[in-house]
Amino acid sequence: MSYKTDLPVMLPVKPRALEPFKSLKKRHILLIAFLTIVGPSLVFAQTGEFEKSPLAILLDWTPLLLSGFLFNLVISFGAMALGTLVGGLLGLGQVSLFAPTRASSWLVTQFFRNAPWLVLLFFAMFLLPFELNIFGFKLPLPDWFKAILGLSLPVMANVSEIVRGAVRSLPSGQWEAAESLAYTRRQTLWLIILPQCVKRMLPPWMNLYSILTMATVLASIVGVSEVMTLTGRALAAEGGRTDLLAPFYGLVLVLFFIYCYPIARFTVWLEHKFSVIN
Amino acid sequence: MDFIFEWFRTLYSETGVNLPFIYDEYDRKRMAEGLLTTIWLSLICLFFSVIIGVIGAWLQGSSLKWTRRIVNGYIQLFRNTPPLVQLYFFYFAIGTLLPRVENDWGGTSPMLGSFAWAAISLSFFAGAFNVEIFRSGIEAVPKSTVEAAEALGFSRLQIYRDITLPLAFRVVIPAMNNNLVNLVKTTTLAYAIAVPEMLYEANQIWSDNVNVTEMMIFLLLAYFVLVGVLVAGMNKWERAMKIPGFG
Amino acid sequence: MKFKILKTIAVTALISSVSVTAGIADILDTIKERGTLIVGVKADYKPYGFLDSSGTVIGLEPDLAQDVADKLGVAIEYVPVVSSNRMQFLEQGKIDLMIATMTDKPDRRKVVQIVDPNYYSSGTNVLALKSLGLKDWNDLNGKPVCGIQGAFYNKATSQNYGAEIVAFKGTAEAYSALKAGNCAAFVYDDSAIVAKTNDPAWSDYEMPLATIDDAPWGLAVGLGEDNFAALMSEMITGWHKSGRILELEKKWGVTNTPFAKEMHDKYK
Repeated sequence: MSYKTDLPVMLPVKPRALEPFKSLKKRHILLIAFLTIVGPSLVFAQTGEFEKSPLAILLDWTPLLLSGFLFNLVISFGAMALGTLVGGLLGLGQVSLFAPTRASSWLVTQFFRNAPWLVLLFFAMFLLPFELNIFGFKLPLPDWFKAILGLSLPVMANVSEIVRGAVRSLPSGQWEAAESLAYTRRQTLWLIILPQCVKRMLPPWMNLYSILTMATVLASIVGVSEVMTLTGRALAAEGGRTDLLAPFYGLVLVLFFIYCYPIARFTVWLEHKFSVIN
Repeated sequence: MDFIFEWFRTLYSETGVNLPFIYDEYDRKRMAEGLLTTIWLSLICLFFSVIIGVIGAWLQGSSLKWTRRIVNGYIQLFRNTPPLVQLYFFYFAIGTLLPRVENDWGGTSPMLGSFAWAAISLSFFAGAFNVEIFRSGIEAVPKSTVEAAEALGFSRLQIYRDITLPLAFRVVIPAMNNNLVNLVKTTTLAYAIAVPEMLYEANQIWSDNVNVTEMMIFLLLAYFVLVGVLVAGMNKWERAMKIPGFG
Repeated sequence: MKFKILKTIAVTALISSVSVTAGIADILDTIKERGTLIVGVKADYKPYGFLDSSGTVIGLEPDLAQDVADKLGVAIEYVPVVSSNRMQFLEQGKIDLMIATMTDKPDRRKVVQIVDPNYYSSGTNVLALKSLGLKDWNDLNGKPVCGIQGAFYNKATSQNYGAEIVAFKGTAEAYSALKAGNCAAFVYDDSAIVAKTNDPAWSDYEMPLATIDDAPWGLAVGLGEDNFAALMSEMITGWHKSGRILELEKKWGVTNTPFAKEMHDKYK
């Protein structure tokens, strides 16, 4: 939006890129790893003769924790895919010309946007059956699948908002031109509006993916065997030693950071590449 | 009031809809405490995260390279790691490193309890997002305004406090709205470190009474109402602070 | 327009054909057909059920479950459960059998079918600092006491003795909180606490109070699964008769509990 004045009181708000760490160099990773894992392990290194040091115990359990982390990633992909699909439809429903569709889509979006992610996850875990019976075929719903369903609910609501925002941000000239060329509503949406929206939707969508990946840790609270649950069980198996807490949780922090930071940088790059010059 | 409670008890025996946090006195007290704790935790985190955002945005404009780097490092670290793990790290790992104090039941406890750590961890988490939001707001203040203030003899701090910040604040209210709503929703994570907020109390109640469905629906509605109240309040405030002609 | 109506009808028909399954077949036949017995066990309660570093569930109760699988001649699959979801999983049919340190209580018998005779027993007690000098349960009044979410004695401890329960979702968190001084004591099963007091890292802690609510544990099957319940009843009697419980206790480093000895004497 622009306006003509001589003395601008305020400038339009531009999305801002952080002054970057240009890229995650090896020394940054080492520094973080030191602060969160090695440091506390050394601080607590009051080991007896036959006891293993915290770092050694951590290395013992690392393969298992890594497999748990991969599981988190699987859950994040599943929830993102499902949420994007349904959310896209919901977002289109929000810009529909048919008032009941618009109202009900809006209601569903607002309801799931305002609910805490953890509560929705509990909802899905406890209230969905463990098995579906379709035409006599039994479809088992394992825990992680229910977690994916539970997490896809807030994703769906957020994607719906992103879609709606992107569609509305297009200049109205596009709609008018399509109308004057006798495109039907559906053709306008599919051939003209949505292709232009994809670019605008990509940065917030990737941001949402980052938030979702971090939210997959919530699945540990409902018992899914992902990285936090496994960390808890590993700590219990090691007898609840307090000097192991910092290294283990530090490792989980580092794993997520190593995965999410490049995504964040990529999102910033995308934003610049696709920034629309008005 | 008692007949209302008794009505819910009969509701249970007639239809099986079990709402013990209404008719049972002990559960009622627990739920009320949970609601108050959620509201209190949300307010504290809102307040401190805004302060952290303001201070962080100020430091990001500093001319010292290392100040900028530390602030950026903090932001990246807190934005790219799960808040739940941050919470655990603060409460279990860092909490045990702090010195211990005498407490009233004859032992020693860490200085900060679970509520304090939840407030700290969530404030820092939301603060990291707020720094960026405030920074974009600060950049929306045109340089000519700042230069005019300098010409009038304002010091850097006075410019920030009296001119830049009020203008920037009004600009960023929509983005901050979003962030603060997310903060209220994120307070449910404090459940994991045994802060007696609403989700925690609901869990206790449904473990004792095995009425998961009713508790879940109540929770969804309760948070819907809480967030709705916050959004309505923020919208009113936004309208009151609106800059005429902008946006 | 017509196409739209047709679509709506088709979708509605599809959705209404999806229904929640209710197991009417006998679970023993299902297990044999499947070739696997799915058992819910604890994975964070050393030594009754916990993980080794490769991620397999081991412990006293997994061993008992393995005996059942051997008897049925099928493979075994462990599903880790916690106190707050073990009964729900059995109810939903996610697991066939549940051996997860669950205390036998009358209102639990309404939700799942607990098999008689009881296979194990323990009471409630606390792990507390020796320096606190706790003598009686009423000494807990006003003090923060750690617990596990979903345990039945949390409500009793806070209502009857005035303690403030601080409930965590796993034993690791609860033990850490106790060590850090976030609570005065940890209310838990006495069998686990006894094992902890023998651990040199916990030498400053003791189990001072009288064990209350000495309650037998029950393993459970789904409601209505009478054949399976009869089979499990036989197995439990066999375990007590042959001293298997005592043997497993020794294997996993638990001092032989009086209940196990009593049952062995009764059935041998």
